[in-house]
Amino acid sequence: MREYIDGSTAIVRGALDAGCTFFAGYPITPASGILMAMMRELPKVGGVAIQGEDEIASIGMCIGATLAGSRAMTATSGPGISLYSENIGLAVMGEVPLVIVDVQRLGPSTGGATTVSQGDVQFVRWGTGGGFPIIALAPSTVTESYWLTAKAFDLAERFRCPVFVVTDKELATTLTTVDLESYPTIQVRDREVGSGGPPYRYAPADEVAPLHEFGRGATVRFTGSTHDTGGYITKHLPTVDALNRHLSEKIEDHRDEIELADADLEDGAPTLVIGYGVTGGAVRAAVAEARRRGIRVSGLVVQSLWPIPETVIRRAMEGVDRVVVPELNLGLYRREVERIAAGRSVVGVNRVDGELIDVDQIVEAVT
Amino acid sequence: MTDTTQYTRQDWQSDQEVRWCPGCGDYTILASLQNFMADFGVDRENVVFVSGIGCASRFPYYMNTYGMHGIHGRAPAIASGLAVARPDLSVWVVTGDGDALSIGGNHIIHSMRRNINIKVLLFNNQIYGLTKGQYSPTSERGKKTKSSPWGVIDYPFNPVSLAIGAEATFVARTIDMDRPHTQEILTAAYQHQGSAFVEIYQNCNVFNDKAFIALTGKEERDVNRIVLEQDKPVVFGPDDAMGVVIEHGEARIVEVADVGIDAIHVHDATVENAGAAFALSRLSHGPTGPTPIGIFRSVDRSTYASDLQQQIHDAQAARGPGDLALLIAGAGTWEVSD
Repeated sequence: MREYIDGSTAIVRGALDAGCTFFAGYPITPASGILMAMMRELPKVGGVAIQGEDEIASIGMCIGATLAGSRAMTATSGPGISLYSENIGLAVMGEVPLVIVDVQRLGPSTGGATTVSQGDVQFVRWGTGGGFPIIALAPSTVTESYWLTAKAFDLAERFRCPVFVVTDKELATTLTTVDLESYPTIQVRDREVGSGGPPYRYAPADEVAPLHEFGRGATVRFTGSTHDTGGYITKHLPTVDALNRHLSEKIEDHRDEIELADADLEDGAPTLVIGYGVTGGAVRAAVAEARRRGIRVSGLVVQSLWPIPETVIRRAMEGVDRVVVPELNLGLYRREVERIAAGRSVVGVNRVDGELIDVDQIVEAVT
Repeated sequence: MTDTTQYTRQDWQSDQEVRWCPGCGDYTILASLQNFMADFGVDRENVVFVSGIGCASRFPYYMNTYGMHGIHGRAPAIASGLAVARPDLSVWVVTGDGDALSIGGNHIIHSMRRNINIKVLLFNNQIYGLTKGQYSPTSERGKKTKSSPWGVIDYPFNPVSLAIGAEATFVARTIDMDRPHTQEILTAAYQHQGSAFVEIYQNCNVFNDKAFIALTGKEERDVNRIVLEQDKPVVFGPDDAMGVVIEHGEARIVEVADVGIDAIHVHDATVENAGAAFALSRLSHGPTGPTPIGIFRSVDRSTYASDLQQQIHDAQAARGPGDLALLIAGAGTWEVSD
């Protein structure tokens, strides 16, 4: 059986199958499809969907709903992520699980509302103050839009943090034929709800305390300020140090649980193409086309933008002397690849006119 | 304004192709505004149009003068900076029900409260047009849209009530299709010193057609339009048979014959107390029935920029002009020599 479906619908379905019970968003092209589908579908399964008065309110509602026991998601585009910024920080600091979908469009500012882009890949990484790790998954197909969204809900619970699903205008709004059997089942862990005991844990630094919900069990407090394990505001130096190391290490020490990539490696190939998101489709097609022409080439599609799947990329780079990184920006992710490439030649294939990268452009770069 | 220059509408038309849906109410408002600017002899170099995001916000491209197409909801903030930095400019904000009342709700009320000299034109079509049909803060309860398939459960804003509550010193309402009335209101807003808020009922023929049919339909409009006129009793309908009385802070519609013309409320937009203006604004829910248009409120208060200039003037008069070098050096500095 096959179906005709766009990425937005797949994201909504992934969220619902992952147990999403709350959504709030604000109309913005090209993410409105997710809002509208959620407004239609969530009530059918007993969930709550709200159109907020703006993006600040929408993500704020999601944080409030999570603290009340919901599993929450919001969706927007670049200009909306700008407005999410302070509440992303609050979710990081308060360790609030949350899924944030960024349907990228060409920026900065209003930019091209109906124009594809991958300009937000560093923005989601560094989109709030403080400089702490963030998790961001990037689907490259409709099928991945489904299961990476479910995966995002799982990781949000595992690490008690906001998790991004980074897609784009083309992937979200283009109807594609998909094999129904191609959707994998993702096991999404249940929320471990704390009852009594401190709502935070900083030792060992990488451990995560269960989320304590409001109105259930012991009374707890959340704060955007530096706080002790009881959730009380503090400037006690060792406690503040422990909190900040914990926020970093709970993710950095468990990268192996997060890192995801789809590698198609050819032994002895001198060239490796690394892409992500909608450009990942072009990477797969270009690798196939190049091989058809007798060119030895490996391909790798990054699925966890953050943390970058460093282990897989290192392995893929063995024996490679040239890495090609196509992306719909001027090399924002290439710099991450360069760091890992350790002196290998890293070449970008870049496009910022609002059109997709042609398969031929990539084939030319690997030839 | 100079006496010698004669303008036509063409002087206010830019060379850009106007891109709204065919039949959009925005075309009429654009024409009204261009006509007003020309007829009134406003000099282009003294005017700025600032907008946010939405269909209405394309306006600055089409007015042949200074313009800024900014970001969603923030036009009042940008316009406030402009109006305070250059009090001699006529600063206009073109916005919509989503831009001004949803995402921009905060900025709009504070720009009004401060009596900053900006003219806010709120094109109210009770729908999100640019993002193709989601409900807005002025959409009526129960309305089914693409983002409210089960019906809207929000209570809508009444923009005129909101502006009065936010201390706007000039508050009016007009209708896109009524060009003479629109131009009359624009003239009054232009001449007003301080924050002027004009709600314009604007038909979105694609996503919310006929939302204002009660005031624009051939049969309905004579029954439902309550045209507010300064110092005149508020009467309306065929033969002015209907009228408005205000009792205990509440406006009510009555038959004039029942209460006598002397009992009918005489409209005075210039009274400082906003009670009567607010009571009149509450008649306009929907609008599916009798609804006032015209100037609800027009009172004199000093503007933010004039008060600020006065403070600067007084401070300099009392303490002399500033000397940065002196300020940095202060009294407790000395020179170290070998």
